[in-house]
Amino acid sequence: MIQRKVSIILENKPGALVRVVGLFHQRGYNIESLHVDPVNDLTKYKYVEKNLNIKLKEGEVSHLIISTTVNDNLLRQILRQINKLIDVLIAEEVK
Amino acid sequence: MKLAGNDILIQSLINEGVEYIFGYPGGAALHIYDAIFKQNKMEHILVRHEQGATHAADGYARATGKPGVVLVTSGPGATNAITGIATAFMDSIPMVVISGQVAKHLIGTDAFQETDMIGISRPIVKHSFTVESAENIPEIVKQAFYIATSGRPGPVVIDVPKDTTAPDKLFEFNYPDEVNIRSYSPPIDPEKNQIERAVEAIIASEKPVIYAGGGAINSNASSELIKLNEILNFPVTNTLMGLGVYPATDERFLGMLGMHGTYQANMAMHNADLIIAIGARFDDRITNTPKLFAPNAKIIHFDVDHSSVSKIIEANIAVFGQVKNSLNEIIKLCELKKEMINTKKISSWKNQIKEWKKSHGLNHDMYLEDSDDSPIMPQAVVQHVYNITEGKAFVTSDVGQHQMFAAQYYHFDEPRKWINSGGLGTMGFGLPSAMGVKLAFPNDEVVCITGEGSIQMCIQELSTCTQYNLPIKIININNEALGMVKQWQDMNYGGRHSESTYQSSLPNFIELVESYGHVGIKIEKNSELKSQLERAFSLKDKLVFVDVYVDPDEHVYPMLVAPNGSLKDMWLDKETKT
Repeated sequence: MIQRKVSIILENKPGALVRVVGLFHQRGYNIESLHVDPVNDLTKYKYVEKNLNIKLKEGEVSHLIISTTVNDNLLRQILRQINKLIDVLIAEEVK
Repeated sequence: MKLAGNDILIQSLINEGVEYIFGYPGGAALHIYDAIFKQNKMEHILVRHEQGATHAADGYARATGKPGVVLVTSGPGATNAITGIATAFMDSIPMVVISGQVAKHLIGTDAFQETDMIGISRPIVKHSFTVESAENIPEIVKQAFYIATSGRPGPVVIDVPKDTTAPDKLFEFNYPDEVNIRSYSPPIDPEKNQIERAVEAIIASEKPVIYAGGGAINSNASSELIKLNEILNFPVTNTLMGLGVYPATDERFLGMLGMHGTYQANMAMHNADLIIAIGARFDDRITNTPKLFAPNAKIIHFDVDHSSVSKIIEANIAVFGQVKNSLNEIIKLCELKKEMINTKKISSWKNQIKEWKKSHGLNHDMYLEDSDDSPIMPQAVVQHVYNITEGKAFVTSDVGQHQMFAAQYYHFDEPRKWINSGGLGTMGFGLPSAMGVKLAFPNDEVVCITGEGSIQMCIQELSTCTQYNLPIKIININNEALGMVKQWQDMNYGGRHSESTYQSSLPNFIELVESYGHVGIKIEKNSELKSQLERAFSLKDKLVFVDVYVDPDEHVYPMLVAPNGSLKDMWLDKETKT
């Protein structure tokens, strides 16, 4: 198993972050590091707008990066669980 | 139209078509209750405990397919609702729970009856909302109902601080026609190539079995499943949650699978070369040891929830979408290619299954006994109830041995008739859920098959049944012990019955139910069983509580051998293992 980074774009709403963090504990996954920022510079996030066919505004979403050490199957399961959260726009592995 | 927050909330529910709201008033919810008093489009059902409200709403939702709606106050009202929310979450039942909350300026101050409902309920809801202002209520309610009922359904909590429902502040009320949540788009139609791959696997199969669960019921896909199998002619098994989605009296039906599934269903799954999973999630009561599960089977998995697929058992072919839509697509392709199905090989597979059924299938006759020298068998009670109600009743159950006997011996031919807490296994579910079903279907027979342990967990709802005149039939399969706990203690703990008996402390159930204005019937002899049950069901306008004393030493079989067993490893009776 190697350490993976998961990148999550989620709505910048009260309670959204804790849903993601809580899910890790609830499903028995470990968080090794966590970084979160509101997205003010949208230039790097055109892919979100393209994938979901939406228009983002400054500060409207947050970018969360979580590191965790898991195998491929569990990583897939984690991503599917996170993507299921209503406030999450996109969750994917950082390659 | 200008309305206050409390009226906006109630009007929003009325706009959603809510007929019944199950709840219990209290300080933080009083503005909302005042708005309920002023309208007559929606009926409020006053339960006796908030757990009862959630289970009643849950029963209503399971029977109708419409979301159940609950209203509770803050603090203990909210925490009492938690068990029912978790029950609905585990079984993917659409529910909207409105919880009162202390006023916004008091949040975080440890105010009277303050609790962090959003925090407490977070792991057991599909989503939750806090109302910040009355203006947001219509949009939140619209989103809550959409989220609760779409994709894989589930409970949604709306926490409503008291000041947002204040009657003295008016806002413009417009209920939205449409809802759009940019971060939420559950799959609806399947991908074409996955359907093609699934049909290829079906054609290649020699030992197929269809394994359908609660997701097929949630997706209202029963008629599609029947139609598909008119083409395929495959053996079908259902999970505990799926019972009724395929007619139990159809000759291709193998019965329930899993922990207490039939011998033939478990053997068919273990030996299959193709498992077609439809809205089922391979939980641990189905797979036994996942590593040993169906060693030779290819898996096609139809599901609306990505995270349910390949979670426990790797799927070879995943078909994401509403199960109903996916089945409609595969029906079209199977119709075109049905000549290519290997009917010859499959016919010998079906003969093999018939042999399994003949050797160790459920034996209905052995439990029916006329003699008063032998105790009443719990299986016989369920069989009589099945016969008297002609298999057409809604049956709710609690959790334990009686639940398994009901699942094994009441043969459900239609979906949404079998109402039980499969995932969470919540004792206390049976009676309140029966209330929700009876309100939705007042002219249908509603039976609660329970045990003397479970019924006491929400027995206060007998009072609610009096208030709203709900003539449910309660069949209390009384073995004077926590039967399933005792069975495990018999099998795994050297017969040491630690805290699983009550030492003569059971109430006189007959006097108890009579005190609520209901009818009680006690049955202790085989010779009275049929006639007294018939009498109970003949009292159409009365809630009848039938207290049946059964063999206290009976176990539920088959039972999977665990841990480290596979689906072919079963106890068939107290002495015999496969």
